[in-house]
Amino acid sequence: MLGSDPRGLTEAVFPGWRFTPWWLQAGPLRAGWVLLGKEGAVPEINSCFLYKEEGRPGDGGGRTLLLPCVVLGAAAVLPAPRPPPEGAPRLCTSRTVSQSGPLFLRKPGPMAVISISGTTLLLALLSLRTLQSLVLDERLLLTPELINISINSEHQSLHLQWTVPNLPHQESRMAFQIQISRFERSKVIWEENYRSTVKQGQVLHWSWESELPLECGPHFVRMKSEVVDAKFPKPSFWSSWSPWEKVVAQDSPGPNELLVFPKDKLVEEGSSVTLCYVSGSNLKNISCYLDSEQIPGERLDASVFAFSLSNIPFIRKTGTNFFCGNSTHKEDGTVLFVSKVLEEPKDFSCETRDFKTLKCTWEPGPDTGLAWSKQPSQSYTLLESFSRRKEHCQHRSWCHWQISQGSQETYNFTLLAENRLRRRSVNLLFNLTRRVHPMDPQSIKFENVSARSAIMTWKEYSIVNHCTLLCQVELRAEGEVTQHNVSVKVNGEYVLSGLEPGTQYATQVRCASASHFWKWSDWVPQKIITFEAAPSEAPDVWRNVTSEPGRQNVALFWKPLSKHQANGKILFYNVVIENLDSASRLQLLSIPAPATQQELMLDPRCSYRIHVTANNSVGTSPASIVAVAGDPGNGTENVKEERITGTDGGFPLSWKPKSGDVAGYVVDWCAHPRDTSCDFQWKHVGPNTTSTVISSDSFEPGVRYSFRIYGLSTKRIAYLLAKKTGYCQELAPSYNPQVTIKNLTSHSFTLSWEDYSTESQPSFILGYHVYLKSKAMQCHPGFGERTHSDDSVCCKYKIDNPEKKMFVAENLQPESLYEFLVTPYTSVGEGPNGTFINITTQDEHPNILIRIILPMILCVLLIMILCYWKSQWMKEECYPDIPDPYKSSILSMKKSKENPHPTIMNVKDCIPDAIEVINKAEGTKTQFPGTRKSVTETELTSQPVYLCLIATENNYSSPGPCICFENLTYNQEVSASDSCGHGPVTPEEPPSQLGLLASSGSFLKALEKNYTNSLEENPSGNSLRYVSQLASPLSGDKESLPTNPPMLVLCSEYKMQTAVPSCLASPPLSEDSSLSSVTLLGESEHYS
Amino acid sequence: MMKILAAGVVPLLLVLHWKPGAGSPLPINPVNATCNTHHPCPSNLMSQIRSQLAQLNGTANALFILYYTAQGEPFPNNLDKLCGPNVTDFPPFHANGTEKVRLVELYRIVAYLGTALGNITRDQKTLNPTAHSLHSKLNATADTLRGLLSNVLCRLCSKYHVAHVDVAYGPDTSGKDVFQKKKLGCQLLGKYKQVMAVLAQAF
Repeated sequence: MLGSDPRGLTEAVFPGWRFTPWWLQAGPLRAGWVLLGKEGAVPEINSCFLYKEEGRPGDGGGRTLLLPCVVLGAAAVLPAPRPPPEGAPRLCTSRTVSQSGPLFLRKPGPMAVISISGTTLLLALLSLRTLQSLVLDERLLLTPELINISINSEHQSLHLQWTVPNLPHQESRMAFQIQISRFERSKVIWEENYRSTVKQGQVLHWSWESELPLECGPHFVRMKSEVVDAKFPKPSFWSSWSPWEKVVAQDSPGPNELLVFPKDKLVEEGSSVTLCYVSGSNLKNISCYLDSEQIPGERLDASVFAFSLSNIPFIRKTGTNFFCGNSTHKEDGTVLFVSKVLEEPKDFSCETRDFKTLKCTWEPGPDTGLAWSKQPSQSYTLLESFSRRKEHCQHRSWCHWQISQGSQETYNFTLLAENRLRRRSVNLLFNLTRRVHPMDPQSIKFENVSARSAIMTWKEYSIVNHCTLLCQVELRAEGEVTQHNVSVKVNGEYVLSGLEPGTQYATQVRCASASHFWKWSDWVPQKIITFEAAPSEAPDVWRNVTSEPGRQNVALFWKPLSKHQANGKILFYNVVIENLDSASRLQLLSIPAPATQQELMLDPRCSYRIHVTANNSVGTSPASIVAVAGDPGNGTENVKEERITGTDGGFPLSWKPKSGDVAGYVVDWCAHPRDTSCDFQWKHVGPNTTSTVISSDSFEPGVRYSFRIYGLSTKRIAYLLAKKTGYCQELAPSYNPQVTIKNLTSHSFTLSWEDYSTESQPSFILGYHVYLKSKAMQCHPGFGERTHSDDSVCCKYKIDNPEKKMFVAENLQPESLYEFLVTPYTSVGEGPNGTFINITTQDEHPNILIRIILPMILCVLLIMILCYWKSQWMKEECYPDIPDPYKSSILSMKKSKENPHPTIMNVKDCIPDAIEVINKAEGTKTQFPGTRKSVTETELTSQPVYLCLIATENNYSSPGPCICFENLTYNQEVSASDSCGHGPVTPEEPPSQLGLLASSGSFLKALEKNYTNSLEENPSGNSLRYVSQLASPLSGDKESLPTNPPMLVLCSEYKMQTAVPSCLASPPLSEDSSLSSVTLLGESEHYS
Repeated sequence: MMKILAAGVVPLLLVLHWKPGAGSPLPINPVNATCNTHHPCPSNLMSQIRSQLAQLNGTANALFILYYTAQGEPFPNNLDKLCGPNVTDFPPFHANGTEKVRLVELYRIVAYLGTALGNITRDQKTLNPTAHSLHSKLNATADTLRGLLSNVLCRLCSKYHVAHVDVAYGPDTSGKDVFQKKKLGCQLLGKYKQVMAVLAQAF
């Protein structure tokens, strides 16, 4: 290579050869690099040239210029083509070309710079020209000829086949330089030198794998050759390039077509892959996605984008979708089949159990199989190097290898795992005798089985004469495990001793190679039951005696024998009752196991001795004897119960020793005193012991346990010595007594809780606290006092005697509310804070009300009867229909102010201010022609009419006294104003009352107005209602008629009244009132 | 080529020549042959056809969803691009035609779908060997299509004396790459869902 430093590349081609700069001064070749011969070695190539390629590389137009070698260094410069002298370093050509551009002057190092005169160089060049013309013909002859280029799309590879025509020799060592371009010839993407020995007519092969799918664009291939055979020392040179060959894997897509490549490619997880799409000219804005993630691309050509995916993940066995498309629904995609990385098998191991086959096992790692038959699961092959045998394994994690019947003891295995992408292998070298995994023991039997021993035998699989086995025998019974080692050849035997009678033992045995331990065989279990023996101990027996009149109840208890004592399964218990007072009488009871008690009814007049034995299938145990005295109650009444305090460890008991000969002591108690079954327990104590501690897991806090201590005489008769009771831990009472109230009076009541059981409480009851609470109470002496926040006083009374279950509360207030609470107290506290119960004391005189109210009711009833009986008289006297003016109190009051003597007011003195005329003859149905409405309707819909009656014709112009009535009510307002009505009557008004009554509506309006004004003038609304009346001569009292009644229309009845203020605002009238308020002014008019 | 025949065309031929209860083949050259059924067609043929169409329509969407879900991304999120009912050569259907015309068109559609469904089932058994639910649904749908085809042919034969209908097969996917198989299957099932809704309404 001229013009640039080619040393690195050239040294790769000619290892050990050195390059040095070459400096020329004239011509187009002014400077360059010269390859020196290998130091210390004779160069293989005599013909050395300095050369340069002219023209642009890749366009086929370049040519090589050759320069003769010259000798550098101390030797003389030899003009080419003469060979250099022996031993001198030589200049040789570089094999790398392809560098274009003008030569430039690179100044060599001082040691390498050689000055050459222009004349010398010119001569050399002239002589070279001749040589150049000679070799050009040969260059053309050696140009390779590409005869086939095939495409493998799956592997993205090109496969080239070519020949070298006109090869001058039968066989030559040749070098080929191959160039590959993509999209355009000038875009060389690959250049490679390939050497091979070529025979005449031989077809040469070479493959190239592309990173980019071949379908992504066209490729171009060309090559040239050179004879590099040392057998032909004449100067060698490169041939001309072969013509570019175009390779097209995929035709250009249509203008609306989109293609994605590669199709269905198989790659390994974590590897890199390049994809591309080729789009038609009309398609724009295409996006691509790997699964659901958009991938950025790189433009390679106008219509080609490439996508480089690195570290590609495994997503699913069915492949990862790669998809490209745009908004015009032109899309294409491909599926990348990503395989998991094939892992090296782990834990590879081989062993034999029978010296016939080896079983090799390993951990295979993840399955690399893929769907669509892209890749099956990885396969495993066993290779053995010594025997050169091979075995294809049918399973993923193990394989069998047949051991040849030779003498091979050492094996060197290679486990090969492979799939379509990768191979993995592991090695294992071992000696067969060190990989023995014995077969499981067989035919385990027990011989000479007795109650205490047995012989265990088994057989081992015959493994020729290879080894002695070490076997382990394990014995397990009731949690105890013992192991024994035995050395075995073929038949194993072990004596099991020290066994328990009637006991089932679980045994198992396993073996391993004794000389070279590798693995134990599996355990092989077998069970054995030893024979039974007679029970060795008498059962522990005790009794509980209760007496009834005429008989004695004896509850006989015994404890089951322990397994160690029973020596087998206890089948039944024999109870023999011996009457000591009648030697001839023996009673035998056989009670099947697992019963542990028996009720007996004995004669209280006799003494008994009871023998109890346990029996299994082999024999009977020694007897246990209990004596029952004829009079068991003697002395028991004098024994008082003592209280004891338990601890965490149990109840410590002590007692005074029994006088006389003592065989021992017995303490009995109920483990569950609250249960009906009681769970009777006892404990035997030696004769010299007077204290013991009773402990049990069944003891619970808050439960009272009672213990009885008996002394046993030498005749096995029991005497009660002491009774103890206590709690292992006292607890505060959990509930309060249910209190009933008795004798409730006005000053006292009695509280009673007789049903409260002190025995069943979780601690010893020391007494009771009675709380009494009331707002109206002072605590009496003996009570503690405490004031509550609600000002009530709470008195506390303490009862020290737990058996006193009654309390009398005295000196209470009658009809007062009291609240009380009764709670027990113990050494660990009192009962719970319950709810106070309310009680009210009785009234002090509870019948006084009855004594007063009943007569009063009778009196009232009597009066009511009398009133009813004299009702007519009462009416006339108290409220007549027409009041008697003479009896009017108003008059008396009026007059009393002016005249102390009551007088009767004359009607003529009264100037009525309103008159209401009621025509009963016409009735309520009187029609008014003008309105065509019935009176009733009118009245119901209009206000009543009020007329002011002017006093007299003479004094009409001046206001005169006017008194109006309604019943006996006095019109104070009128009286006070001393005028009639509600305003002065003008002179224009009609003089007569009749005329007044028949006057025009204006007058009435004026009246009404005045009246209204008067009402308004009295806004307080507290004016009295007053009505003056004219009684009908027909119906009224004649004596009460005025002497000069006014001349009215033909009325049968009159009613004269003053304005009633409330009537204006008042409303509807009742039917009665409507009748009474009809104003009869004429038959054709109605005013309102 | 043999695989194509075995997987796609042969099942179709079997379908086309299957008759209820008989299994007798149609005449080889049935254009002018008389319509002959060995067993009389049931009287409620149209009712059965309607029922089968309703059943297929009822399960079409579930099958479609199951299919595109089994193909993995980006199919579920690009249904419009990858699973649109863009099947170019799908037989037409005119709902306003006479019953005879509608039955003939239905016959063509069912025959087309039967072939295409056979291809999809074959592809999915290879590509998604563990998608048993999808396989089961595809098989059940193919079974129903076979029954429907038989009933339609029986109706055509018994009432309209039509013994031969020219049919077009669904696209052959055996030479396609995996992605194209997935996509064509998805498009076909999208079309199937669409056309079943129309057919169920039309009968």
